[in-house]
Amino acid sequence: MSQSPIATARRNSELGLVVMAAGITAVAYTLASLGKNTQIPARIVPFLIALLALLVSAHVAVRLLAPGADSTLLPLAILLHGIGYVVIARLSDRLAGLQTTWSLIAIVAFVATLLVVQRPSDLARYKWTFLVIGAGLIVMPLVPGIGVAVGGARIWVAIGPINFQPGEFAKIALALFFAGYLADTRELIAAGTRRIGPMRIPEMKYVLPVTIAWGFAVAVMVLEKDLGSALLFFTMFTVMMWVATERAIYLVLGLVLFSGAAYVAWKLFAVVQLRVHVWLDPWAQYQGKGYQIVQAMFAFANGGTGGTGLGLGSPTKIPAAKTDFIFAAIGEELGLVGGTAVIIAFLLIIGAGLRIATRSERPFEKLLATGLTTIIGMQAFIIIGGVIRLVPLTGITLPFVSYGGTSLLANYVLLALLLRVSDSTARRKGEVPDVLTLGERWESWGKRRDEKKGIRRAPITDEHEQQYDEPGYDEHDVTEDDEPYDDEPYDDQSVDDEPYDDEQITDEHPVVEP
Amino acid sequence: MNKQIRKLAAALIVLYIALFVQLNVLQVGKKQALDNHPLNNRQTIRDFNRPRGPIVTADGVVVAESVPTPTDSQFKFQRTYPLKDLFSNITGYYTYSFGSTQLEKTKDAVLMGDTAAQKVSGVFGGNDNSGRVVLTMRADLQKVAADALGNREGSAIVMDPNTGAILAMVSYPRFDANQVATHDSKQAQDVLAYLNNYPGKPLLANAYQESYMPGSSFKIVTTGIAFENGVTSMDRTFPVTTEWVPPQTTDPIHNYGGHACGGTMDEVFYRSCNIPFAQLATELGPDRMVAGTRAWGIGEKLPVDLPGAAASNFENANGKPIDFAQNMPLLAIGGFGQANDLMVPLQMCMVASTVATGGKMMKPYAVDATLDHAGKVLSRTQPTVWKTPISQATATNLTSMMIDVVNKGTGRPMQLANGIQAAAKTGTAQLNATGQTQRSHAWIVSFAPASAPKYAVAVVLKGTNATISAGTGGLLAGPVAKQILDWLFAHP
Repeated sequence: MSQSPIATARRNSELGLVVMAAGITAVAYTLASLGKNTQIPARIVPFLIALLALLVSAHVAVRLLAPGADSTLLPLAILLHGIGYVVIARLSDRLAGLQTTWSLIAIVAFVATLLVVQRPSDLARYKWTFLVIGAGLIVMPLVPGIGVAVGGARIWVAIGPINFQPGEFAKIALALFFAGYLADTRELIAAGTRRIGPMRIPEMKYVLPVTIAWGFAVAVMVLEKDLGSALLFFTMFTVMMWVATERAIYLVLGLVLFSGAAYVAWKLFAVVQLRVHVWLDPWAQYQGKGYQIVQAMFAFANGGTGGTGLGLGSPTKIPAAKTDFIFAAIGEELGLVGGTAVIIAFLLIIGAGLRIATRSERPFEKLLATGLTTIIGMQAFIIIGGVIRLVPLTGITLPFVSYGGTSLLANYVLLALLLRVSDSTARRKGEVPDVLTLGERWESWGKRRDEKKGIRRAPITDEHEQQYDEPGYDEHDVTEDDEPYDDEPYDDQSVDDEPYDDEQITDEHPVVEP
Repeated sequence: MNKQIRKLAAALIVLYIALFVQLNVLQVGKKQALDNHPLNNRQTIRDFNRPRGPIVTADGVVVAESVPTPTDSQFKFQRTYPLKDLFSNITGYYTYSFGSTQLEKTKDAVLMGDTAAQKVSGVFGGNDNSGRVVLTMRADLQKVAADALGNREGSAIVMDPNTGAILAMVSYPRFDANQVATHDSKQAQDVLAYLNNYPGKPLLANAYQESYMPGSSFKIVTTGIAFENGVTSMDRTFPVTTEWVPPQTTDPIHNYGGHACGGTMDEVFYRSCNIPFAQLATELGPDRMVAGTRAWGIGEKLPVDLPGAAASNFENANGKPIDFAQNMPLLAIGGFGQANDLMVPLQMCMVASTVATGGKMMKPYAVDATLDHAGKVLSRTQPTVWKTPISQATATNLTSMMIDVVNKGTGRPMQLANGIQAAAKTGTAQLNATGQTQRSHAWIVSFAPASAPKYAVAVVLKGTNATISAGTGGLLAGPVAKQILDWLFAHP
């Protein structure tokens, strides 16, 4: 396959890092088994082969489907996923089996997302659909019959044998909606029409949809007592609003609203007061709600600088060590060193995600990357901060690390979207050849077949016209083929039919829903 | 928008730095405080999965060790005590839910390999850097002492008077640490509850953690003080009498059994008359008597290297100092080991040792050495003088009188096999006033051979029943001490 030197370099370094992350996982897995049972885990060789096969197949998918994408995101995610898996396996054999299945499904979803979403702009067109999907997912746990309350929060849905947390996907759907909507209207909102003192008030019709969506999401999550997710949405929305409009006032507004909401929540919900009390003095409620956080603190202290060693601590004393409190298990058995490694891994993901946002010159992609990165970054901060008693605890999963199928699945989809944005930018910057995507080739193949049959179809919607002017886009072999276009049915007609181009559409004219 | 995104990145970095700082606070700053928090039993869990070294006797018998458990067990090791109840008062127990006691507690760091020296050597060694504790005590002698005591409540102690090394220290009732060290917390709890309510305090090493009225064995102390203060000499004689009225009272003091008793210093000592010693205490007066008993270490917690040692008592009643000047009869009675006098059995052994060594009271110790995993010595106990209550001359006088106790006095049962000369003093502590059911402790303290002492022994049999209370120290405790010393001289 023809690839630019940049793409080759990126993918090769990614492969190297993926193999390293797999190696770390395998070594940790063996050490955990030695620590716990003083024996090399049974079937270590098949485990190793399966692990490598799974991870390398994810890498190969990126190589094929997003060759220009950032090279660090996938290895970082795999490293976190691997550490999480080892800790889960060390805590419970049964959950390790389930997590194995979920890992497989998550990687498949990752590849599928890269396959289905081949141009980020495709997503922008469906922003209203994403709003409906997101709202629907958020409300699902409240629907009688399928919604299930676990541990006080009503965030689960059980349909037949399948249990999942729709909120994990809702955050992606809503990020897509916000990015799509704000990319279109950001200048209108930022410009404003009336002035009150130093503030410029935007027209309500532009702000209303996004405010309603945001208010609805936060309100529903508070109803579900899913405070962590509510906080996460709040932050994501405020950040996206601020970045989109470039007006700090939205940050201030968000803070004011947050303070107001926090006060109301404090008054209305006993659980909020409880969480704050436990945060301030967990010792007072050691026999009750404070038990878990106190045990987590003991776990961190027990771990110290170097940790007890995998399999040698007692993280089983923390009831939620496999899910929300997994960071405490890591802190105990891998110590300050391991905990810091996890924190740094998340920081690097944030760095890579925001770099993708700044590199892209399209508002939608910028906003999407910013929103998705904020989700990961804030989610990790909220739960780690809660577990180490930096902030009041609100139960959400630690991305990629915690046990939980929905969480893992959603985070890999999120990762795939970030990589897609990254690859798309690389194509436009000419770092990698902007070849037709698989989907576009499929469509063109269909069109050619139809033409042969004499059926005329609507032109392919594609804003990447410049590709037709570039020589050597052929994915088979550029050098061998002097006439790379001869089997392609595209002609200038498709360009003429779609007059907008990248630079204009996103800023000035809203993309019209098909 | 890039400006905002960069600011967002900066903000997130600040948040994550806060995470890192707080993580440091928990894992480094507050580590010690959290590790030692009373609600925290992680250290215990971890320790129960780590190897823990043995406690062994001077003759190489393992009295406490950790053995690996079957793989499906709650913990990787089970602490066991192969000699069952014989050393449980010394080793203590090591439990999951109820902490640890005695040497298991005080030598925990050495046994777990947690001392600084062991940690350094552990870096180069293997996984297991647990240490071991070597006792001065002999397992075979301990068994002999326990058998000699039988199931009579009391204690027996054997020590080397020249060093203070404890060779045997046993009391009855005692307990089996295996029953407490079980991982079954419920069972351990039940056993501990039972032992706590059992009469005779089996969980305590009565030999050094309890004190009892010494009776006439205390006369060594009073005589020593009198000699040191020049109040008496070997030439002094006491009138033969059946009763004597001390100052400030009309209530006379009698000799044991109401006999007429008197004669030379030596005679009243080996016959164990009471009146002469009441007179000596009175002549010494409150100040010299109190100072003298303090010089013997009475009133101080015993400096033994085992935890929870008791203190003997002369000058206090119910925890308050007695005003002897206003209460001379109490001083007089205290002079022959009655009234408020309480002696720790181990201290009585130290009293005999002091006479044996010519006046030096050594610090008693049960731990000879601590070793690291490779067998290198981490610490070895050096014999130290604790007190010097009497001079060589006084010691010589006391020795000669204690020899006569064995040869022609109350301690005749202490005539040892093979012509080995022992020196001894008996004691029969009358616990209650005339007219009540008589209960008395039977004591003997001794050392042998008298000319060049190698061993000191103290035995007390508690007067908890009529059989013991009907006897005397010489008749009851004497044979126990003789049995121990005879065996010891046959098995040096």
